[in-house]
Amino acid sequence: MLKRLGFIAALCGVMLLGRDVITSASASSLEAESSAFITELADKAVSSLTAKDANRGERISRFRSLFNESFAVRSIGKFVLGRYWKKASDDERKEYLGLFEDLMVVSYVDRFAQYAGESLMVKKTRGENKSTATVFSEIERPGGAKAIRINWRVGTNGKIYKILDVVVEGTSMSNTLRSDFSSIIRRNGGKVAGLIDELRIKTAALKTE
Amino acid sequence: MREPTVPVICLRVLSVVAVLSGASGCASAPSPDDPDAVAEFLQVNDPMEPVNRDVFEVNRVLDKAVLKPVATVYKAAAPEFVRTRVSNFLANLRSPVIFANDVLQGEFKRAATTFLRFFINTTIGVGGMNDMASALEIEGHDEDFGQTLAVWGVEEGPFVMLPLFGPSNPRDTVGLVVDFVFDPLRMWASNTDSNYVPLARAGADAVDIRSENLEVLDDLEKSSLDFYAAIRSLYRQRRADAVSNGAGSATVPAPGIGELPGGPTLEAAEELSRR
Repeated sequence: MLKRLGFIAALCGVMLLGRDVITSASASSLEAESSAFITELADKAVSSLTAKDANRGERISRFRSLFNESFAVRSIGKFVLGRYWKKASDDERKEYLGLFEDLMVVSYVDRFAQYAGESLMVKKTRGENKSTATVFSEIERPGGAKAIRINWRVGTNGKIYKILDVVVEGTSMSNTLRSDFSSIIRRNGGKVAGLIDELRIKTAALKTE
Repeated sequence: MREPTVPVICLRVLSVVAVLSGASGCASAPSPDDPDAVAEFLQVNDPMEPVNRDVFEVNRVLDKAVLKPVATVYKAAAPEFVRTRVSNFLANLRSPVIFANDVLQGEFKRAATTFLRFFINTTIGVGGMNDMASALEIEGHDEDFGQTLAVWGVEEGPFVMLPLFGPSNPRDTVGLVVDFVFDPLRMWASNTDSNYVPLARAGADAVDIRSENLEVLDDLEKSSLDFYAAIRSLYRQRRADAVSNGAGSATVPAPGIGELPGGPTLEAAEELSRR
């Protein structure tokens, strides 16, 4: 009897221990992988966007592939459209997602290239739940100017990692865009088509810059 | 005869704007049959939107005509060395207000940091121009009475666009006035009839802050479709971030949360840990 109790206790001990090992291992590997993913992205951005030989058109096309490779573009686009995603037709969704990608690429290519030339330092990483983590980083500015605080919200399905949101000095890109776009839709009588028209004009103007 | 102080002028302008815009100044609420629209209306929380947009346009005209050109020239002409020292000097002047708000928020460690920084930077930093404290890894932070009210549980209230001062809300507007009134430097200035001091300082602050935000605001204006809505969102997020002292809350909505599958292995680990 005593022997059996001892065995059960040992089994419980192993299970308890095992549980801790599994949870802490998965949390810390999520954090480590997320942090490595951001550092790698920064290195990639430096090598592909700061090349002197590339003109703006070339940089745009390089940034577009980097953006699609590293950002959860569809999830972000869907989040940004908010409650209007449900109201949009399939054609509207498709056109919207294309224009959304265009807007992001042409409005951020220059700044991304500029920041890529400065050093990004990962300060810490915090696992938020089993599939997302926040990577806290700073971009050191030249000449002693104040560093820029950038938090990256990273999500994973266990294999691939994608950026879900970029928070610059406390301002989330996704949430700002969501307020911006939904305001445009409200001012166009609640129609997604109104937003698509304005996106078309905006991206066309930015491309010719 | 004392000249009116900045907040008093500001409140006067605000009341004139409110009277001029009259009853037409309210945003129309959506029909109560559409719960999604009602939820959105409450979340946007900008009942004075038409007036706010008008004030925003006036602010933008003033910014384009005066503040932005001055900030741009300042950034281009003054060497980084000089601008950093001006920035440090102005930040050091804010120390007493930051210290008071640290204490009011019960953040005694941060209060001690602020005090120590003020002492170091004013003495060996030569009047605050050199941030010697940061060099000694005593990093600074900002606080204001709007944040203190938030820590005390006061809600921000509806969005307000103030003339000249820009985006705000009732809570932060009260904070602005309280910080101004209880600022030791202003008290000294007003007791010695040197009212130009707070004015000069406000001007210097405006140019300093604007020159530091040239890129961010240009980017936002460039990428946004509705600049006003983007600024409204940016202001609220920055304030929430300041109140939480940059903790980066996981409760802020973000894309993909709950959409990305955890994967079978992670799912299993989660399941195990619950047993």
